[in-house]
Amino acid sequence: MRSSLIIGLTFLVALLLSVMPMPSPVDLGRPMWLAMVVAFWVMVMPHRVGLLCAWFAGLATDVLYGELIGQHALVMTLVAWLMLLLYQRIRRFPLWQQSLVMLPVLGLAQLLLLWLNSLAGSRPPILMFLLPAAVSAVLWPWVFSILSAVKRRFHVF
Amino acid sequence: MALTVVSVAFMVVDARLSVLQPLRAQLGMFLMPIYYVAELPVRTWGTVHTQLTSRAELINENERLRAESLLIKRKLQKLATLTEQNVRLRELLNSSSLVDERVLVAELIGVDPNPFTQRIMINKGEHDGVFLGQPVLDATGLMGQIVEVMPFNARVLLLTDVSHSLPVQVNRNGLRAIAAGTGNNEWLELRHVGDTADIRVDDILVSSGLGQRFPAGYPVGRVVSIEQDPAQPFAEVKVAPTAQLNRSRYLLLVFSPESGYGDLLPALSLEADQDAAPIVQTPAVSNETDEAQAPVGGQPDAQ
Repeated sequence: MRSSLIIGLTFLVALLLSVMPMPSPVDLGRPMWLAMVVAFWVMVMPHRVGLLCAWFAGLATDVLYGELIGQHALVMTLVAWLMLLLYQRIRRFPLWQQSLVMLPVLGLAQLLLLWLNSLAGSRPPILMFLLPAAVSAVLWPWVFSILSAVKRRFHVF
Repeated sequence: MALTVVSVAFMVVDARLSVLQPLRAQLGMFLMPIYYVAELPVRTWGTVHTQLTSRAELINENERLRAESLLIKRKLQKLATLTEQNVRLRELLNSSSLVDERVLVAELIGVDPNPFTQRIMINKGEHDGVFLGQPVLDATGLMGQIVEVMPFNARVLLLTDVSHSLPVQVNRNGLRAIAAGTGNNEWLELRHVGDTADIRVDDILVSSGLGQRFPAGYPVGRVVSIEQDPAQPFAEVKVAPTAQLNRSRYLLLVFSPESGYGDLLPALSLEADQDAAPIVQTPAVSNETDEAQAPVGGQPDAQ
């Protein structure tokens, strides 16, 4: 019960960070906080956090962003699914190698988001869309360390 | 797999129908506090700033505001007679009278995190009478329109969003055009303006009211550059919006009889008779005093 609460709380913080106001040019590289948190929990505890959790987290993002319902839900499901495929290998990697793996995973998520967005007709198809994935991959070691610390501190199992 | 199907189904349904609106509104009600919390540091800084403003600064500001108010009052005196004259002339012409709109002050609570759209969140929603397509202004001009209404919040699409355009006319000669958003919050562009059209740099553009969405006569922008390329069929006209799209903290929601949905509000029919004293605009909702005061109190952080 308590561990679900802690996990939910990290999701909430990620949502908060993803709507935090940022100055205009930096905005383009806003890290994919929620995707990273989803990836972390799926990787560390695939028995607790799975596709459904990711889907609901994505739904919350859709409502917050005011985009088509299901758009981010689909993207988050993709991230969770990729992590479910990869977690047994990634867990054994050192942090910097994990970062390298996160780059294509999050990049794929961004690509899917770009496709969905251009279907909805509101996004210029420029290469800039990969920037958030790159920034997130760079931030991954820190996010991972912080979340593992949280996990250890509050005995989430 | 099932989740993918559900997501895709949701997207299609959401794009084509409005069945999912209640779900969105209800979820929105729980999730919108996140925007409040995210804006908290900015707000706190604003409060601290107001608390710590020095006395001299306050006196200065007070004086400046007094002078400004004097100037505006002088203009208003003229406006009263002009408005009456206008109404009388319109009566002579048998045309529909120009009704003054009611406004409601709203506060910005968040900016859309997606850098490719130009949208903002405000702290007024369905409970305050906000409706879909309602025009939004700030102190200096037209800002945009409401695109999503939640119980206590609403989302505003700014003029500069790529998917937004509105009918305008040149204030000097009444030339009509369409001002389309560019996705950059400092530019609008005029679509389909002929090379020979009588439009100059520094011309003021006002809303023409032809789209039945925005009330006529509000300033939209100022022409900053005109490029005439012989290879192109139309001139490329760049317009800088007069509203401070990325700075305004307090916005005005207009309840206008002209905007298409206005007649849904029964209260407005009363307003139609009161042409005589159109100077004082009252916010449409009951707790008007503190809302009307809000912009004055928030002046320091708006600068």
